[in-house]
Amino acid sequence: MTPPPDIHTLTGVYALDALPDDERESFEAHLEVCDACSQEVTELRSTAALLAEPVCRAAPASLRENVLLAAEDTRQLPPRTTPAVESIASRRVPVWTRTLALSSAAALVLAVGGLSFAVTELSSRIDELEVQASQAEERTQAMSDVLAAPDAEVHTVAGDDGTVVNLVLSATQGRGVFVAEGMASAPPEHTYELWVIHENHAQPAGMFNPDAAERITHTVTGDLANAVAIGVTIEPEGGSPEPTTEPLMRIDL
Amino acid sequence: MAANRRLRAVPASGAVAAEHLLRQVAHGDAAAFARLFDELSDLVYGVIRRVLRDPSLSEEVSQEVFVEVWRNAPRFEEERGSARTWVLTMAHRRAIDRVRSEQASRDRTDRVGRRNQERAFDAVAEQAELNDEHRRVNEALTTLTAVQREAVELAYYHGYTYREVAELLDTPLGTIKTRMRDGMIRLRDAMGVTR
Repeated sequence: MTPPPDIHTLTGVYALDALPDDERESFEAHLEVCDACSQEVTELRSTAALLAEPVCRAAPASLRENVLLAAEDTRQLPPRTTPAVESIASRRVPVWTRTLALSSAAALVLAVGGLSFAVTELSSRIDELEVQASQAEERTQAMSDVLAAPDAEVHTVAGDDGTVVNLVLSATQGRGVFVAEGMASAPPEHTYELWVIHENHAQPAGMFNPDAAERITHTVTGDLANAVAIGVTIEPEGGSPEPTTEPLMRIDL
Repeated sequence: MAANRRLRAVPASGAVAAEHLLRQVAHGDAAAFARLFDELSDLVYGVIRRVLRDPSLSEEVSQEVFVEVWRNAPRFEEERGSARTWVLTMAHRRAIDRVRSEQASRDRTDRVGRRNQERAFDAVAEQAELNDEHRRVNEALTTLTAVQREAVELAYYHGYTYREVAELLDTPLGTIKTRMRDGMIRLRDAMGVTR
């Protein structure tokens, strides 16, 4: 049995800015998908800000003038707007590639034993998907089936460009569900291909291409019990029997 | 703690003023920005100075923070916390980033070990006149256990990572994580913070 994910205990450390940079990145990715942690972090951050009170200290007089002069010469950022679908779709693959490629340090892997938490987290994720995606029902069903397996494991990986991948795997069922959001389409005449990676070879696990809303749900089948990782490459249209490019993403199991 | 104290997490006048000012700053209002500066500069400078110690470096980083506040004001999201929290979070984060970039070239373990001998843990009892808010925070800090308080203070005021704190106190990482979280939760409850 996989130990319960203690990533949730990092809220205090994070609010105190005491996470090393690499762990900070992973935890921020986790916050994107975990409402409970995100709420707690908001509260603990407000609490941490109060710790400034006891060390309040008169700022040097020169600071005021320098700040006001500097502001005068600084352009303000525009407010954030809700991006239109077209503008998201125009985001290119390479950003994502750079972020996720083989970087286990930047990757957050959530292995979940006691599933109750993962189920809540994923069902809220699924709820969102249902609103917008046409195959929501199929996706929910596929995911619930795998989640119901006693050995189901959830892996979450996020890139700094907003790509979030949730992977649920069950070795005993020999299948899993790969759900990506915010993932740009493959380049023209190419496709993404998924691989079940073993010690000495990679087994093809199907091709996929995110829809206009940059979402994709793909069922993974294969010999998962002996797999060491799940990988994604870009292949020429029609796929390849073995990977011909470096993986864009590798989720170690 | 008396029930009526829990009702005000932040002094009402200050909080309202800061939010209001920040909204005006978002519209490019330089006068509002000057007022916001007056409202928060001692806190921003204080926290940065506490972490960095060096006065001129602290002033430089404080300036960066306020320029960031000006730049990012149009992107402030109220639902994620108060204006004061937003600014102070930015200030602390900047100070920490500066500590880390300065330390990057050195042997951190070595450094932590050396500091261990110099000053294991100094309590927060510094200058600055005791205002109401200050007193409330100090009082809330006494609700923490000694080890929780130590972990929280080493992280927040000294700018150590939790790994460095674990090393310094020769305590398992998991224990430090828990101390920091439990300590912050206690503090949150004692201060009646709701978001």
